Amino acid sequence: MSVAERSVEMKMQPFGIDWRGRVLDRAPFLVACLMLTLIVAIYGSLQSGVFTLDEINLDTAAAMTLMLAATGQTIVLVRGGIDLSIGGMISLGTVIAATRFTDDPSTTALWMVIILALGFLIGALNGLLISLLKLQPFLVTLATWSILNGIAMIILPTDGGSIPGWWVGFASAQLLGLTSPVWMLLALLLFWWWFRATGVGLTIQATGSNEKSAFLSGVSITRVNLVTYGLSGLFAAGAALFLVTQTGAGSPTIGKDYILPSVAAAVIGGVSLFGGRGHLAGTLIGAFVLTLIGNLVFVLHVSSYWQPVASGVILLLSVLASSVAEKAARNRVQ
Amino acid sequence: MDLVSVNGLSKRYGGIVALSEATFSARAGEVHALLGENGAGKSTFIQILSGAVQHDGGSILVEGRDYRPANPDAAQARGIAAVFQELSLIPDLTVEQNIWFRHEPRTLLRTVNRAEMRRRTLALLDKYDFPTLRPDQELRRLTLAERQIVEIAKGLAKDPRILILDEATSALPAREAEWLLKLTRQLAAEGRLVIFISHRMAEVRAIADRLTIFRNGSTIAVHEANAVSDNEIVTQMIGRRLDRLYPERIATATDRIAVRVKGFSSGSRLSGVDFALREGEVLGVGGLQGHGQRELFQSLFGATRASGTIELWGKPVSINNPRQALTGRDGIALVPEDRRGQGLLLTKSVRENLTLSVIGRFTEHGLLSRQKEAELVKEMVDFLRIKAGTPEQLAGTLSGGNQQKVIFGKMLLTQARVLLLYDPTRGVDVGTKGEIFQLMRDLAAKGYAILFHSSDMPELVHVADRVLVMRNGRVAATLEGDRISEADILRAAMLESEAA
Amino acid sequence: MSAFLARNRLIVLAYAGMVVLLLVTALFSPGFLSISNMRSTVVLAAFVGIVALGQTVVIIGGGIDLSVPWVLNSAAIVMALLCGGQDLPLVWVMPLLLAGGALIGLVNGVGVAQFGVPPIIMTLATNVILQGLILVLTGGSPTPSAPALIQFLSVGRIGGFPVIALIWLALTLVATLLLSKAAFGRHLYALGTSATVAEFSGVPTARTTILTYVISGLTAAFAGMLLTGYSGQAYLGMGDAYLFTSIAAVAIGGASILGGSGHYLGTVAGAMVLTILTGLLPALNLSSGALLIVYGAVILLTVSIGSETFAGLGGKMRRKAS
Repeated sequence: MSVAERSVEMKMQPFGIDWRGRVLDRAPFLVACLMLTLIVAIYGSLQSGVFTLDEINLDTAAAMTLMLAATGQTIVLVRGGIDLSIGGMISLGTVIAATRFTDDPSTTALWMVIILALGFLIGALNGLLISLLKLQPFLVTLATWSILNGIAMIILPTDGGSIPGWWVGFASAQLLGLTSPVWMLLALLLFWWWFRATGVGLTIQATGSNEKSAFLSGVSITRVNLVTYGLSGLFAAGAALFLVTQTGAGSPTIGKDYILPSVAAAVIGGVSLFGGRGHLAGTLIGAFVLTLIGNLVFVLHVSSYWQPVASGVILLLSVLASSVAEKAARNRVQ
Repeated sequence: MDLVSVNGLSKRYGGIVALSEATFSARAGEVHALLGENGAGKSTFIQILSGAVQHDGGSILVEGRDYRPANPDAAQARGIAAVFQELSLIPDLTVEQNIWFRHEPRTLLRTVNRAEMRRRTLALLDKYDFPTLRPDQELRRLTLAERQIVEIAKGLAKDPRILILDEATSALPAREAEWLLKLTRQLAAEGRLVIFISHRMAEVRAIADRLTIFRNGSTIAVHEANAVSDNEIVTQMIGRRLDRLYPERIATATDRIAVRVKGFSSGSRLSGVDFALREGEVLGVGGLQGHGQRELFQSLFGATRASGTIELWGKPVSINNPRQALTGRDGIALVPEDRRGQGLLLTKSVRENLTLSVIGRFTEHGLLSRQKEAELVKEMVDFLRIKAGTPEQLAGTLSGGNQQKVIFGKMLLTQARVLLLYDPTRGVDVGTKGEIFQLMRDLAAKGYAILFHSSDMPELVHVADRVLVMRNGRVAATLEGDRISEADILRAAMLESEAA
Repeated sequence: MSAFLARNRLIVLAYAGMVVLLLVTALFSPGFLSISNMRSTVVLAAFVGIVALGQTVVIIGGGIDLSVPWVLNSAAIVMALLCGGQDLPLVWVMPLLLAGGALIGLVNGVGVAQFGVPPIIMTLATNVILQGLILVLTGGSPTPSAPALIQFLSVGRIGGFPVIALIWLALTLVATLLLSKAAFGRHLYALGTSATVAEFSGVPTARTTILTYVISGLTAAFAGMLLTGYSGQAYLGMGDAYLFTSIAAVAIGGASILGGSGHYLGTVAGAMVLTILTGLLPALNLSSGALLIVYGAVILLTVSIGSETFAGLGGKMRRKAS
């Protein structure tokens, strides 16, 4: 070790770790973890076999569509935008799958690539419209949601079509005791690590944090929007491909069930609606929370209709928790 | 050979001349101070150098080659980096991410090499002996002073040949300011050029090899730092003005106290201000920028939380929001600093802006009487001579001076008799400036009590009856009568020794 | 006159669009302009229009109300349950449910104005909570049919005019007075244009914000009761479509989603445009999918026309032409 390096090492020592600051910074995320732990604990105490691999496989499969949709939404929220069009993209994806997938894997694979590419292109178009015409993301994506939904209804007016059995089986395919959804979950985290570690994620985050400063530092806002909404469309298409393994059919209306829950999962996980802040791990935990509430309601033997009430209350609690933490952190600075 | 040599540099913003035929030259290895009053052209000059704006005329040579950067990136490519007061940092990134933003060291996989980034960060902080900064802390958790230090690190990370520091010490506490002064000497010793802008004379004295004085967009003088006295510098900064801008100052103050403020404090920027403002008085508030003037005005208006007591016309009051401040004849009205962000609804009409604060007064049975409103609007437009095609013209399309008049009108309609005017003539044409000063004297004569801050010192000297000079969140001096002069204000604001 | 046109360009365009749409529809389906058809179009538009009244006020103030669907649905179902098909209970049920709608709005408003919860999250949460509570309450089963009086309000006529059209007209008048002739309106536009400037001008920003959500709760609850009369009974999910249509009507009516501009008169045209389109497509033999595509295209078109870039281009082109 050279002298210079050693002095650098020594310099690092006095920093220590500012635990209080770290906790406050991650308060919303920690609150989400706490909620999940609580839910799992209650669930586990009322139901046997909760802490098994099977249960993990099952719950992950149940949450995966929302997780995929919420991954795209998280990227958009970190950018400081919102994407309502994922509802349309998911519907469109499922109806294309239900009408085009065949027993021939190579044809099906081709259509999968087409659906994913479509997702990215449509998303990128959203980003382009937002940038070039200086439009509000909310209205642009509301409009494209409607358009995509309409196209889906023309392709397949009512729920139906069929998904080849081998693809339906994908969701329960196992490797090392873990089903493919669990591997996808790990892949999502790996993606997020890559996304944050390369300049792409950092640039998107910086733009969401302070667009003017990012612009002054040489960031192209148009390119950021293109990539952000493109990725959101891509993940929505991915969610559609996974969703059909669960439903075994296409549905021109199913996508709307994922629009606001995707935002809710992200917000519960500590992603800020004002941009610049958030982590996919939080979103995934948020998606688990929203999914497991259903299980909890089931084992508590109360009406399943309490599920939306519980999710609404949890959503409000997490927003309030993060605003309290934010105030505390701000007071600390002063 | 000079590292930078500037000749005949000119820049106009619309009708306003910011720089005219300015010259400047500086060598590698020196600290070169740039001095001048607000509006002298310093900030335009460094914005041009750093690529933030482009000049209209004249030439800049850097290392003997023509220099005309289209943007900050291009300036950096030629080895010029600027540290501005208005920070270019990203709140949600960490200190080190900010320092290296878009210039991060990469691994073979093109991911950010965090270990390398940390090592470079610490090496940089170590090399220049930075005050303790946590590289992994998010920027929004830092104080203003710490952010300023990060901004300096971001500038140095580009290893510039020329570093511009724009009032970099003004946000720093004494110890960190001292460190920065040492840093500038170190940078100069490394053969870099540091262009240093500061209003603190002692600092300039301590580190500058040479200094250039700007006034009214032109270069007035270049001195070797050790061959010129403070008084000479101040005189050259102020110059001689032959202005018929200011109305005759007739004392109209009565003995009645309109506002008495005791122990007023807010955050770290305002610490224990006491003063009394009398009926019919124009009380100036001066001092260098960022010494608590803004916080004082906003707190009095209820827009910022503060502790301490306020008495209005002898009665103790508590003002928690602007609505409370504006209510009734005993109210306090503010003409705010940020005309476009705080004062005016740019996309609404002159009429709607004028009556916004008092719209409830025009209702009969819950409905607005457009006629009553129109009458008062017309009266106010005539009284203030607001030049708008019709009262329906959008406020955003008016000239700066007329926009300011609309804000004045809005506040005058509230019937508050205490007026807080924060830099009301900023960006206003000369003709309207005169009108505003005359208006202030007229209002004072009618019994209004006026607290008046200006970043332009001569205005305080010529318009105010008394001047409070603020330094570090306190009233450092109260000047009256003959003692109100630019030199006295500057001295009280800059020369720590005298007022201590 | 030209100043009026310039300031209300987008509203005028919305009406121009409505007229063009009517003419086009008449071209393809000559029966469309018949009295009876126009009557049913106006009736359908009235439901959208009434819900969109509250949405307009919230959006002008810089917010958004996603709780509209289940405030509407809750009012409809609770009314049907409490009245059990009888007219008499309406005397207390109607005021009670209007108060209930206002209360939900109050909760939304306080969450947004006092606790700083983003409007999207606040109103989304109240929406799902209401949805769950109503599901628990009804157990998902259908509810008794609507009282006759409510049916009269929704589908009855007075002198050939649909009653609901008259109600809509009255509400339009009230909204116009509120936006154009009351102090509240000025405060609202100021708030939506710049909350900071409004605050610095002494506008009661918190109170104004809360009031917008209260109004939205009121109109959604009212529309829910009327809609029960139209369909004969209350059912689960009857409000879902009104989230999209209420926001779309406001956008087509020329309001900026960022707040500070727009007017209920524009929203009225927006509601008409959406409803006429619904009627046009069957005439053209187009599916409901096509309708959604057209909805989306119309929203994109109107917000593009309203955007600064577009206005800038228009200005440039005009300058070039002259």
